[in-house]
Amino acid sequence: MKSFSEIADALGQAVAEGDEAQATALAKEALAAELDPQQIFSQVITPTLGEVGRKFSCMELFLPEMMLAADAAKAVLGILQPAIEARKSNVTMAGRVVIGTVAGDVHDIGKNMVASMLEVNGFAVVNLGSDVAPDAFLRAARERKADIIAMSSLLTTSLPYMKDLLAVLQESREKEKFKVMVGGGPVTAEWAAQVGADGYGKDAAEAVAVARRLMGT
Amino acid sequence: MHNAPDIAEVLARTQTGEYCTTKEWDTRRVPGAIRRMLEKHQLAKTCNPSQPCNTDFELADRFYRAGFDLALELGYHCIDTQRTVKVTREELLNALKYARSEVFVGEGIDGTLIKHRTPGDPYPTASVCSLGITNSEKMFPLITEGIARERAVDILEAGSLTTIFGHEVLAGTPWETLMGYEHARMHREIRRKAGRPGMGAIGCISATTEYGQFGAYGTPGGFLPTDLALILFPSELKIDYRTLHKVIHTLNCGGMLKCDSPGMIGGMAGPPEGAVISSIACALLSYAILQNTVGGGEIYDVYYLANVNREGLWALSMTGQALSRNTHTCCHLIANQVSGPVTASLLYEIAAGVGVIASCGASMSTGPRSAGGKLNDHITPLECRFVGEVCHAASGVMPEKMNEICKELLPRYETRLKNPDIGKPFHEAYNLDRLEPTHEWEDIYRKVKGEVIALGIPLDEF
Repeated sequence: MKSFSEIADALGQAVAEGDEAQATALAKEALAAELDPQQIFSQVITPTLGEVGRKFSCMELFLPEMMLAADAAKAVLGILQPAIEARKSNVTMAGRVVIGTVAGDVHDIGKNMVASMLEVNGFAVVNLGSDVAPDAFLRAARERKADIIAMSSLLTTSLPYMKDLLAVLQESREKEKFKVMVGGGPVTAEWAAQVGADGYGKDAAEAVAVARRLMGT
Repeated sequence: MHNAPDIAEVLARTQTGEYCTTKEWDTRRVPGAIRRMLEKHQLAKTCNPSQPCNTDFELADRFYRAGFDLALELGYHCIDTQRTVKVTREELLNALKYARSEVFVGEGIDGTLIKHRTPGDPYPTASVCSLGITNSEKMFPLITEGIARERAVDILEAGSLTTIFGHEVLAGTPWETLMGYEHARMHREIRRKAGRPGMGAIGCISATTEYGQFGAYGTPGGFLPTDLALILFPSELKIDYRTLHKVIHTLNCGGMLKCDSPGMIGGMAGPPEGAVISSIACALLSYAILQNTVGGGEIYDVYYLANVNREGLWALSMTGQALSRNTHTCCHLIANQVSGPVTASLLYEIAAGVGVIASCGASMSTGPRSAGGKLNDHITPLECRFVGEVCHAASGVMPEKMNEICKELLPRYETRLKNPDIGKPFHEAYNLDRLEPTHEWEDIYRKVKGEVIALGIPLDEF
C-alpha cells in the first residue's frame, strides 16, 4: 500500500499538471488507503494550487494550465468532500463565488482568469460563462449559497447590466446576503463605488485580494 | 476561380463542423496545438526581451509557417454552435492569393490608399485614430472633430458612446441600434465639419453587438461601403454568430471588412511566442473564413493590459514581419498604451509601439489607447496627431534601427506600465473653444517629439 507521501506527491503532480483522470484516481486510492481526506486537501491540494497561482503570476505557466489545474482540484474535492463530511469535518473554503461575464458580452478570457485565480487561491467558484443575465446571476447565487457575485465586462454597453443586478439585489432586499465584485476593461474603482459594488479588481491578482477582503480573511 | 468557402458555406460549417466545447477548445485544443507548433518549428523561448524589435527575418518566416500550420489544424471555434469551422490548405492558399494588397478607404482627395507593405517599406502605414475610448455625448463631437482636423490622421475611428440622448445604451437592445445610427450620423457630419468629408472611416466602434452595426453601417447618412466595417471577434480563434451577422451585413452592403482579434500573451496561447502564432493563424483564417478585406495580427499582453512592454513589442514586431513578408495582405496592428493624456509616458509608449508597427510592415495601425482605454474622455487629438506622425515617419525605418530606438525609449516609461499615470481628461488637456491643447500638453509633446527625432524617427520638425 502506498504511503501518504507517495500518494501526496503523485496527487500534487496530477493536479498541477491538470490531469483530472489521474488526480481523481489517486484521490480514490487515498481514500481506499484510509488516508485522512482533510489532510490530503490541506497539505496537498491547497499548496499545489497556491504554487500554480504563483507560477501563473510570474509567467511560468498560463491560463489553460491554471484552468485545468483548478478543474482537477475541483474533481478531487468532489471525491474527498463526502469522506471529510463523514468525519464530521468540513473543507474550509476561502469563500463561494458565482462569476460570469454580463449580458451582451461574450468576452471570457479576463473572467476565466479571475475564476481560475480565485479557485487556485481556495475559493469555490461557479463559472456561469458569458452573456449572463442579471437574474441568472441571482438565481445561481441563491442556489449555490454564494458569498460573492463576481461580474465581468469588456463592453461599456454591458455595464448597465451590472447596475441592474445591484438594483435587483436592493429591491429584493438581498444586498446584505451577497457581496458584489466587478471588473473588466471599462470598469474602474470609481465606477464600482458609484454603482454600489462592494469591490473592484483591476486584474486577476487584485480580484483575489478583494475577494479575500470581502470575506474578511 | 476564387476557391475559398463562400459565406453560405461558412455558415453551413458552423453547423456541420466537428463538435468541440469551448472549454475543450480553450484548455486543450488551442494550447496543445500551439505547443506542438512551437516544438515543430523550434520557436519556444525565442522571445528575447532585451531585443524588443525582432531583427531576424528567418525567424519571422518560421513563425509564419507555424501560424499557417496552426490555421489549418485548428480553424475557428464557433461559440454558438460549439462547432469548428475549418478550411483546407487549398482554400486557405486561394483566399490569401485573392486577398487585396491595396484598399482605398474613403472618397476622393480625403481618402487613403492602404497598401501592402514589408519591413522598412517607405510607403506610409495608414494611421487610424483613435481606439474606442468611451466619450460622453457632450465631448464626443469635440474630441472627434479635433481628431479629424489632425492631418496626420488618415482614417477616423473615434471613441465610443455610452449614452444616447442621455440614456445608457444596453448591448443587444434597440438602444444599441439607435446609438449605432446616431454614432454613424454624427461621425459623418463631424468629418464634413472638419473639412474632410471624404475622409475614410472605420465603424462602428460603439457597436458591441450586431445591432449597433445594423444601425450604423450602410444606413442612409451612416457609414458608407467605402468605409471599413469593424468586426471584432469574441477572442482569438473564436467567432460567434454576432461576428457573422456583422460580416454578412457588411457584405450585403457591398462594404469592406476589417476583422481582427489579438493573440493574448498569457492567455490561451500562452507565452509571447504562442501569442504570435495564434495571432498569425487568426489573421490568415479571417481571409479564408470571413472574407476579410484588411486586418489581422493583433497582440495583447494580459500581464500588462497593454502591449508596449518588451514582450508585447517583440510579439508585435514578429507578427508584423511574419504577415507582411509572407503574404500580400494589408496587415493591421494596434499599439496599446496605458498612460494618459498630458504625460510624456503616453508619447514614449506611442513612439515605441507605433514605431515598431510601422517599421515591421503593418499597412495600417489604430490608436492610441490613451489611459488604457479605461477612462471616459481620456483622449485628446494631440496624441492622435503623434500616432499619425510616428506611423508615417517610422515607415522606412528598418527593424534593426527601431530595435535600438526601443531600447532607448523603454527605460523612459516601462517602470510605470503596471501603475500608469492616467493623465488628464480632454476638457483639462484642451482649450475647448479653440480645440487646441493646453500649453502644458503642447510643451510635453514638443519635448518628447524632439527626443524621438533625436533617437532616429524622422518626424517632421516643428
